[in-house]
Amino acid sequence: MRRILWCGPALGLVLGIACSVDEGAPGGENETERGAAGVDACPTAQVPRTPLRRLTRFEYANSVRDLLQVDPSAASELPADEVTNGFDNNAAVLTVSSLHAEKYVLVAEKLAAAAVADLPALTGCDAPSTGEEACARQFARSFGRRAFRRAVTDGDEQLLMTAYAVGRTGGSHEEGIEVMIRAALQSPSFLYRLETTSPGGAEASDGALVPLSQFEIATRLSYLIWASGPDDELLDAAERGELGSKEQIATRARQMLTSPKARVAVSNFVSQWTGARRLDITTKDAALFPEFTTEARAAMAAELSAFVDHVMWEGDHTLTSLLTAPIGFVNESLAPIYGVSVPLGGSGALQRVDLPPEQGRAGLLTQAGFLSVQGHPDQTSPVLRGKFVRSMLLCQPPPPPPPDADISPPDVGAGLTARDRAATHLDAGGGCYNCHQLMDPIGLAFESFDAIGRHRLTEGAQTIDVTGEVVNTTDAALAGEFHGVRELAEKLAQSSTVRDCVATQWFRFASGRLEAEREDACSLGTLQQAFDASGGDLQELVVAITQTDAFLHRPPIQP
Amino acid sequence: MNPLRFTRRNLLRGGLAATAAIPLLDARRAVGQTDVPRRLVVFFIPNGTRNQLFWPTGTETDFQLGPLAAPLEPFKDKLTFLRGIRLNDSLQNGALGGTLGSEHARGTGGMLTARPLNPGTEFVSFGNTTSGWGSGQSIDQYLAERLAPPTTFPSLQLGVHVRDTEVRARIAYSGSNQPLPPREDPKEVFSALFGNVVGSSQGEGGVDPALERLWAQRKSVFDLTMAETNRLMQIVGAEDRIKLEAHLAAVRAIESRMVGETGSGAGAVDDCAAPTLVDVDLAVDNQYLEAGQLQMDLAAAALACDQTRIITLQWSYAESEHLFQFLSINGNHHAISHDFSQSGTNYEAYNRIQTWYAEQLAYFLGKLDSYAEGDGTLLDNTLVFFASEIGESTTHDLTLMPYVLAGSAGGKVRTGRSLDFSANRRDNNQLLVSIAHAMGAEDLESFGDPSGATGPLPGLT
Repeated sequence: MRRILWCGPALGLVLGIACSVDEGAPGGENETERGAAGVDACPTAQVPRTPLRRLTRFEYANSVRDLLQVDPSAASELPADEVTNGFDNNAAVLTVSSLHAEKYVLVAEKLAAAAVADLPALTGCDAPSTGEEACARQFARSFGRRAFRRAVTDGDEQLLMTAYAVGRTGGSHEEGIEVMIRAALQSPSFLYRLETTSPGGAEASDGALVPLSQFEIATRLSYLIWASGPDDELLDAAERGELGSKEQIATRARQMLTSPKARVAVSNFVSQWTGARRLDITTKDAALFPEFTTEARAAMAAELSAFVDHVMWEGDHTLTSLLTAPIGFVNESLAPIYGVSVPLGGSGALQRVDLPPEQGRAGLLTQAGFLSVQGHPDQTSPVLRGKFVRSMLLCQPPPPPPPDADISPPDVGAGLTARDRAATHLDAGGGCYNCHQLMDPIGLAFESFDAIGRHRLTEGAQTIDVTGEVVNTTDAALAGEFHGVRELAEKLAQSSTVRDCVATQWFRFASGRLEAEREDACSLGTLQQAFDASGGDLQELVVAITQTDAFLHRPPIQP
Repeated sequence: MNPLRFTRRNLLRGGLAATAAIPLLDARRAVGQTDVPRRLVVFFIPNGTRNQLFWPTGTETDFQLGPLAAPLEPFKDKLTFLRGIRLNDSLQNGALGGTLGSEHARGTGGMLTARPLNPGTEFVSFGNTTSGWGSGQSIDQYLAERLAPPTTFPSLQLGVHVRDTEVRARIAYSGSNQPLPPREDPKEVFSALFGNVVGSSQGEGGVDPALERLWAQRKSVFDLTMAETNRLMQIVGAEDRIKLEAHLAAVRAIESRMVGETGSGAGAVDDCAAPTLVDVDLAVDNQYLEAGQLQMDLAAAALACDQTRIITLQWSYAESEHLFQFLSINGNHHAISHDFSQSGTNYEAYNRIQTWYAEQLAYFLGKLDSYAEGDGTLLDNTLVFFASEIGESTTHDLTLMPYVLAGSAGGKVRTGRSLDFSANRRDNNQLLVSIAHAMGAEDLESFGDPSGATGPLPGLT
């Protein structure tokens, strides 16, 4: 029986190269410093090119929900979006394959059929009295504006009315509207977020940045804050020129954050950022973890959203609360995992509970869903948990292991603790040390929670030691040993490295791309400063994104 | 469950269903093609191999299968082992430069494109040689475009428990940064392939007028949206134009079958039939076999019924952490694949998993071989390319890829041989050229990155 991880003895040199450069890795600490330095010396605004953004499946579903007032679940038939750096909205690779094209047809047909079930409600027009043609034209203009997220042109109207005629001829008014909706939902003007408006009708030839049009700003705002298209009120504001200044945009962003639509958008970000969306495909050994049922897994996913909702919209919306609040949302299937009780006979709905203080729970990092995803089927993974903190909270992603390292999880059940099993990783003379010192000493502090997030004090009849440390950091707030996740979380909440990293992660998600080292330095630097100045206020972070050059401008179109 | 019968007779009669979303073959477009078609299937499995146990021993024509390939014994005379093909050269020294991305990622994105990954910082790898996505068209898509077979589907991407959506999970590309997602749900595949055929008990009538009307409306909507896409292409920048061009190509690829103008069906074998669907829970690792067999059944039926002639069938994803508790194996596949002990639990487990994958290939080959066609079988007229993204699993090797061909594309490959290019390694590019030649693109001289070797593999035909 193998009890330790084997790391090839000849690997020290390679590992040294791989992990000694974390300061220079993308999003590493000195990235932050560069960004911050850039703020003081931002002579002219710079923005890199953002590839044309196709709606993600999630954005498509929310958009049709708001456009048509229908159940958008048909959108789940669209292919899953490609994931880059943990996020599913990287514009470079979001393209339309033939499978997408096929599903866009079929899904649009289902949605359109559902939408016309109550035609007067949909169109706001009484065909018998107003006239079918007039109603259709009215709908083409109002619906077209929301679907294409801009002023409807005569060309748009003609296109939609042509589609209407296809359904109306030999059919009915209702069928005409249905075909019109199908055409709109398959139009590139709906499926892509086009940003082609040239002020003055022509692209500047001097290469200067182009301010986005107000409709384009409205669209960016709505997909950032609602993960959906702009509503009439927002489009009206754009049309009236009320999104012309940074102050107006900030005010509008704050107002939009009060809408219930912001909830799904924010929890979607957190779900992707924390990797919790992978709960769907997380498997546990049923003999060891019979509590990890389909219902419990679903409840874990729902808990994440409920917790984020609570922090963002009922609590103080700070990163500190997200990282430290010892609050759970449980139902009958999840309560036993936390060792709490809920009234029996519930409907499966989640109920808020204060988690037992002696467990040392702290926000996202001790949620059963997070702890399950960042683990193995039969045991915890201090490596994965530590790697998450390094990659997604500190923005210092360690490289994957080298090919000739044995990465199979160690055997359990030999009376050892995870710390014993990690000893080889943490032997300063060994080949694993350089990289694993960055992860394991953080992850081992999570050991009081098992592979599905249950609290425990012992493993293999030994008392678990939850001492941890964040090594190789210049951030004073992270320095020094700590005990358990709660103390770790409190350190993370105080850390400017973490605040900068969270700002970076949200910036990437908002931009649909990775930050460009040079062109985004000012945008990212100002964003990080603003988030820091707000005391880590996550609502203000979203608002601050809207104030960056990267949000407000685009480079000129390169023909 | 009462299986839908899908017969050649029904095929030629045309789709009859009133409610089905996707029309099937329509005799109106039959062109009466009589040549026996050639087909290509890429059969991808993750996490490489163990050379010592995978390759045959013996000579080119008199050889014994290795233990990891033992399940292929019944098809031995229809196999061609290709030892000594390297993926690394064209991917390391390519025009795009550098060894970009992890070997798992490079192998996945390079196996069918023979190109390096795009530069980028999207995906990290050991040594920080980060990468973006695949940088060019894959051979299956090239052939679908070039040969334009008269089938309903120009090509079909199928997956079994792929789930992952990163660069390591996409083998087929229509172009740079244009990965093609596979269809992973057998029910959905069934519906796409056979959803429009009704049981013979439902009568001989013509096409439902409502369906005819839907097709006509779809045609009009396609016309409108394609005109709009063309208009926008004049407005956007050069890079975004590529994206819209790809969108247009995607719409063109589906347009015919979505409006009832489907393939000729001329290449269908006489007893082609839709398989029987059973319920599988795609989220459950322990139902890998059931999900995989359904996808293989559907792939075989799609070829037999001439719904398509080009298929990629992808099991899980490169670097797969799939569980095999149904084989009484603990631990995930990728972790197991990195244990380089020469004996013990993980050694046995890895061998068992790779052998299990060979069993699945054998099942698929058996399916194809069960259809008589001309003087031989459907398998004989197909080229099955068995591949993984890396070679020796413990070292992420890209210099000795575990490649095997099965079938001969109608006699275009001399089978029953174990070819060994170890002494004079050949480039992946050349294999892809050979595949293109076997499929009928005989004038293709090179494929993929220009720094790779040109021409086909020697001695294959």
